[in-house]
Amino acid sequence: MRALPGLRGLRGPPSLQLPLLLLCLLAAVRRGWADGNTTGAKATGPSWGGRARLGPASPLTTLPIREEMMTKYSNLSLESHNISLTASPLTTLPIREEMMTKYSNLSLESHSISLTEQSSVPVEKNITLERPSRIELTCNFTASGDVNSVNVTWKKGDEQLTNYCINATGKNLYTQYMFTIINSNQMGNYSCFFEEEKKQRGTFNFRVPEVQGKNKPLVTYVGDSTVLICKCQHCSPLNWTWYSSNGSIQVPVDVHVNDKYAINGTNANETRLKIMQLSEDDKGSYWCHAVFQLGESQMHVELVVLSYLVPLKPFLGIVVEVIILVAIILFCEMYTQKKKMHTDDGKEFEQVEQLKSDDSNGVENNAPRHRKSESVSQ
Amino acid sequence: MTKGTRVRSTSPPDGGWGWMIVAGCFLVTICTRAVTRCISIFFVEFQTYFTQDYAQTAWIHSIVDCVTMLCAPLGSVVSNHLSCQVGIMLGGLLASTGLILGSFATSLKHLYLTLGVLTGLGFALCYSPAIAMVGKYFSRRKALAYGIAMSGSGIGTFILAPVVQLLIEQFSWRGALLILGGFVLNLCVCGALMRPITLKEDQTTPEQNHIGRTQKQDFKRVSPCSTLTKKWVHTCLGCSLQQEYSFLLMSDFVVLAISVLFMAYGCSPLFVYLVPYALSVGVSHQQAAFLMSILGVIDIIGNITFGWLTDRRCLKNYRYVCYLFAVGLDGLCYLCLPMLQSLPLLVPFSCTFGYFDGAYVTLIPVVTAEIVGTTSLSSALGVVYFLHAVPYLVSPPIAGRLVDMTGSYTAAFLLCGFSMILSSVLLGFARLVKKMRKTQLRFLAEESDPKLQLWTNGSVAYSVARELDHKDEQSVVLTAPRYSPTRQMA
Repeated sequence: MRALPGLRGLRGPPSLQLPLLLLCLLAAVRRGWADGNTTGAKATGPSWGGRARLGPASPLTTLPIREEMMTKYSNLSLESHNISLTASPLTTLPIREEMMTKYSNLSLESHSISLTEQSSVPVEKNITLERPSRIELTCNFTASGDVNSVNVTWKKGDEQLTNYCINATGKNLYTQYMFTIINSNQMGNYSCFFEEEKKQRGTFNFRVPEVQGKNKPLVTYVGDSTVLICKCQHCSPLNWTWYSSNGSIQVPVDVHVNDKYAINGTNANETRLKIMQLSEDDKGSYWCHAVFQLGESQMHVELVVLSYLVPLKPFLGIVVEVIILVAIILFCEMYTQKKKMHTDDGKEFEQVEQLKSDDSNGVENNAPRHRKSESVSQ
Repeated sequence: MTKGTRVRSTSPPDGGWGWMIVAGCFLVTICTRAVTRCISIFFVEFQTYFTQDYAQTAWIHSIVDCVTMLCAPLGSVVSNHLSCQVGIMLGGLLASTGLILGSFATSLKHLYLTLGVLTGLGFALCYSPAIAMVGKYFSRRKALAYGIAMSGSGIGTFILAPVVQLLIEQFSWRGALLILGGFVLNLCVCGALMRPITLKEDQTTPEQNHIGRTQKQDFKRVSPCSTLTKKWVHTCLGCSLQQEYSFLLMSDFVVLAISVLFMAYGCSPLFVYLVPYALSVGVSHQQAAFLMSILGVIDIIGNITFGWLTDRRCLKNYRYVCYLFAVGLDGLCYLCLPMLQSLPLLVPFSCTFGYFDGAYVTLIPVVTAEIVGTTSLSSALGVVYFLHAVPYLVSPPIAGRLVDMTGSYTAAFLLCGFSMILSSVLLGFARLVKKMRKTQLRFLAEESDPKLQLWTNGSVAYSVARELDHKDEQSVVLTAPRYSPTRQMA
């Protein structure tokens, strides 16, 4: 995709190139609307001085520049030669923004909700959005009676919407609403309503991605250092900021005061606040804010600072218990040893007695035998 | 033996104070094995605090495991030379000091030294002496006693894991390490419980001395290599150590040692790779964790029930075979694992593997005791657990390398399965060879000169039993009553 000749950079004198640029852009927009071309590049517009192809919007990268251009030339009247443009003159800024951003690689998100006559609970769909995108919302309704008698409306919050299309095939009713989300004003709840006998509602909730932190309080000790982490699962915020709060007021954390705080993050989807030299005053809530193009989301982390005496008490309790048990067991062992030794003494004494009596018995026994043999021999 | 010390020799009580010893050993297993496993709960905290990645923090667990196993022989030496009580109490103090110092650590290196080396050393001083002590107090109900004692690691992990998590939430990792250090101090209580006991067979009578001397002479005649090693051992380490470690030269023990190496190589990767494997076949995180819990709980059940089972009269003489069976079945489970690709198939696998894993763990001390006798049990267990260390360290990384290279878990599991089956086959083969030799020698004995047979001198017929070791003498005697009936009564 070659850049448009003459559009090679905005370095040249703006007076000649910019109106030209404007015309090309208009042509491209026209084409885009007609073909649903998202990349916004191939504008083979009406012929003027050769095929005009917009590059991948490289000169038109930053929004501010575009805005600048638009605001500068918003009061210009358009004069066109050999260009048939039916688009209305460039009037309101938001629409222009919309059009311009359409051509800067916006992704398309489509979501749909199915409703029936029987659904009693309003159906909701939660959608997390991080970057500006084009949105296509579809509601599908199965009518029980006449399809044409169903009243279809779209609302954003309480505000009625237009520009939606309705399609009916047999008993099924499809309605579609397309728009772009560029800033936080366009986030919110979009609902489709089907009114037959009962009013059926389907809601699309657009939110920025949530930040995860620790639900449980973080416990630390006086004089220690700690790290507070906030993570965003599948998103990369533009910026992270930290606030501390005692009560309801959030005070931003000042990194440069002394070496107490340090903010760094290894990836874009994570931020770490390191606090050194903790003291009792540091306890409380800390808030991390993730800044997106479409809004902000925040999470809070609770910090608790204890003194060293707190875990020492259970520890000393266990040590005392161990000492007591060991003393009891060793004492019991000594006691049973002594008892054994006494009984051993007693038993040995008995054994000695037994041996002595055995010996004497033996002597006595020998004697009769001897006498017997003598008597026999005699 | 000298009556000056007034030490009464008894046979293993099989009860009474023995149950206190089992309780003590149970607590020792909780304080050593369960605490080692619970250290991994601290890793997330260490990673956040010291901003290191998982690999660096996982070293702590490897160091503790490795040092505990490598220094197991040291534990046996200390408890043999001082006393079991002193050895275990010393170990408890050391381990507790390691944990307490760890709570003040300011870098990961400090944790390696305190939590890793010091605590591991303390655990090593406790583990094998406590297990050996159980063997001394039981003979009839030995396997049941071991089952209850070894179930401590499973039950301990089960109870300690949520408790440690709670401690970390309440007191952060520093406070939790401090309190865990206090808990480990209970090892001193276990040490105090280990009352020494002298068994009859530990006492050498003049007859047995004579037997011992003739045995040594025969060994010298049979193998000159053993003479050389004996001389070296004698000069380097002294006579007592030579006597203590004489079992190292027993062929039975060498076979057991080699088979333990293969078995330890095979059994460790499962605990590391079951969850990743389950996740890779499509099981959810919760279900994979559930598989691990099943493994743990059935392990405990296997410990106790298999111990009770092998104490039954019908299986008592076949403890060795039961051990082979348990190890071999675990190997077979491994071989089947690559074919199990869904949760309903993995649950029975977990149950089977867990049960037999608990089973053979219970029987390791029993089989070792059968081979070396209770005198050298402490040292032998030290060596056996020492041989567990290197495969435990080496096997999970090798399995991981295989998984990375082949892209699937099949090769790793097959290798482990074959390793365990080889271990059990080796033991079975050795036992078979021994049986064949015995029948051969008995055949020879029947044919030889009856006068020579009757020369018993109140002891066993040595011309026949020269190549058989101490245990088999008795079996020969029992099977051939006409040689020495008086010996049988003794």
